[in-house]
Amino acid sequence: MVEPDVAVRVSDPGIPVIPGLPDWASRHADNALAGWLMVVALTVVGSLLLYLGGGPAWTRLVFLGIGVAGIAAYGVWVYPFFRNLERKLPQNMERWTQLETRLIASFEQLGAGDLVRAGEHTAKLPARLSKVSAAASGSLSSLAQQIQDSSIEVASAADAVNQVASDLASGSSEQAASVVEITAAMEELARTASQIAESATTQADLASRAEASGESGSEAVFEAVAGVEEVQKRISAIANRADTLGTRSKEIYRVLELINEIAQETHILSLNAAIEAVAAGAEGRRFSVVAEEVRHLAQRSQESVESVRNLLDEFSGSIRATIVATEEGSKEAARVLERSRAAASAIDELRQASGDTSRVARQISMATQQQNAASDEVVMTLREVSLVVQRMTGGLKNLSGTADRLNSLGLTIQLLAQSFHLDSPRSLKHMVEDWGKELERAATSTELEDTLDRLVQQTPFIELGYFADTTGYLVALCYNRALTGNRPLLSLVQAREIDMTQRPWYRTVSRERRAALTQPYESLQHTGHVFTVAAPVYGRDRTFKGVLGVDINVGGWTRI
Amino acid sequence: MIAPATPSNTPDAAGRMGGLSTGSHLLVQAGEYVCALPLVSVRRVVRALPVHPLPGSAPELEGLAEFGGEPLPVLNLARMVNAAPGANPAYPVTVVVWAGPAEAREIMGLSVDAALEVAEVPPASVVGGGGGFLLGEAPVAGRVVRVINLEALGRES
Repeated sequence: MVEPDVAVRVSDPGIPVIPGLPDWASRHADNALAGWLMVVALTVVGSLLLYLGGGPAWTRLVFLGIGVAGIAAYGVWVYPFFRNLERKLPQNMERWTQLETRLIASFEQLGAGDLVRAGEHTAKLPARLSKVSAAASGSLSSLAQQIQDSSIEVASAADAVNQVASDLASGSSEQAASVVEITAAMEELARTASQIAESATTQADLASRAEASGESGSEAVFEAVAGVEEVQKRISAIANRADTLGTRSKEIYRVLELINEIAQETHILSLNAAIEAVAAGAEGRRFSVVAEEVRHLAQRSQESVESVRNLLDEFSGSIRATIVATEEGSKEAARVLERSRAAASAIDELRQASGDTSRVARQISMATQQQNAASDEVVMTLREVSLVVQRMTGGLKNLSGTADRLNSLGLTIQLLAQSFHLDSPRSLKHMVEDWGKELERAATSTELEDTLDRLVQQTPFIELGYFADTTGYLVALCYNRALTGNRPLLSLVQAREIDMTQRPWYRTVSRERRAALTQPYESLQHTGHVFTVAAPVYGRDRTFKGVLGVDINVGGWTRI
Repeated sequence: MIAPATPSNTPDAAGRMGGLSTGSHLLVQAGEYVCALPLVSVRRVVRALPVHPLPGSAPELEGLAEFGGEPLPVLNLARMVNAAPGANPAYPVTVVVWAGPAEAREIMGLSVDAALEVAEVPPASVVGGGGGFLLGEAPVAGRVVRVINLEALGRES
């Protein structure tokens, strides 16, 4: 806050009791009135005492003297004073009227918010009154400017809060969505954990049964291994016996060979007997018969040996086949035994693995059940978080709305502050009037348009400037290209179709011939809202030439 | 040396010798052929004698063996009748025979694959041949045998 330069002091002795009188007159008037009143009072008191008759003679003389002195004083001071006062009263009344007129005009300007013109009027007042009025106007102007600045700061802060609130609301919305997704994921995780727990329990049961089956299978396989080992032993015994038979067959072969040799020798012997029979002549005839029979016997022996040999060959073949079969059986039994032992080992490993699986599955089941419980707690917590986030989002939206309202309130305060016409470059009315003064120097409409365009381009918060003459004809229309960009906007020709005389700013300025400020309204150029500051423009001969207006977008008014 | 032939080996008027007719022959296996040796000329049948080859001798002469304490020339009958060699014989034998003409016959050994049997070979049944060592061929028990003339053996050898 800025303290006023000059305080209004009502009891200041420098201020005359009767405005318009010189100082000496005022001082005499005080003395005359006091003396006259004192005389009158003493006279009245003395007269009362005398009338009652209760006092001494000297008191009568005293009061008589006082009365005479009062009459004399009246004649000397009061009467001349009031004569002089009566003589100067018309002049003082005229001066008083002028003073009253200036004060009224000043207050009218103040009532209109035009501190500049109010200051012009108060400047013509007596020095002290002018000084006091100037101090009051200055204080009011300073206050209005502070209000302007404060409103801008409030609006800027509201914008920042709005931006932060919007960002936080957006983030909160995303966070809420994320929390919802996480909640759904956790619920799904909980369901999955339940399924895993059930599956793990089932798996544990199956593994337990598999372990039991594995134990039974292991025992069965061990029995099978024992059976195969017994079969292998029996096959080995058969092979040994077959080998023994083969050895016996070889011995039979040797016996047959011996018999065959004997038969052959017998055959030869029979032939030699036949030869000897021939040599013996007739005596050897019977002997030859015997020799022939012996030869036949030897031949049958050979034939029998051959038959036995054939049978023995078949027997030996069977023995060899038996040996081969037993060897193959023994090998197959060995393979079966090896496979059975491998199967037994595998079943034992499988049984152990089933036991391990069962234990692990139960651990998994317990862990997943704990996980399920933890997931439920997390889901409950997430739901609480979701509610908090939703409430926070709602609160942030309310905060954003509050910031919007605060921004709107800042704009309202700014407009209220700008309704004062201050002698300050921050005063829009003052600025537009200054622009109007610059336009007064333009000789042609082209110069006017160039000047207006230059002013608009130099002012970052002015979106649009235009000038309409006294008939409402739009002479110039200039856009601030830094603000409007490439948006499609009305051209000067299109804008001329609008009846400017019906526009509120035009009507107000034309009627009051002073700067005016409108409330925000929907722009004719776009869907946004603007407010207009307008001021009269005069010619060099001080005749009214038209109305200058500028549009300020409510979205960028804080740049004022 | 073996003693000369005894009178008992001489055929009688009926053509019989020692109670058997002169047609009695010892059938032997010589390679692929069955040969008939006149039984009157056969001295002994023994298992194949160990033979000591004589270097530079004729192919038909396998060598010298020992029989009865005397050296015995052993001839390969299969080679003498030009028979293709057969399978290895199971019981090869050496047939000790009188060879050569009656007045100068000598004992000799014939190496054959087997001694089969004694069979009658009527002289009338002998056909072909040139009257030499191979007298001819005759059917015996449904098969053709080659009749050997041992008397001609001494002359040809």
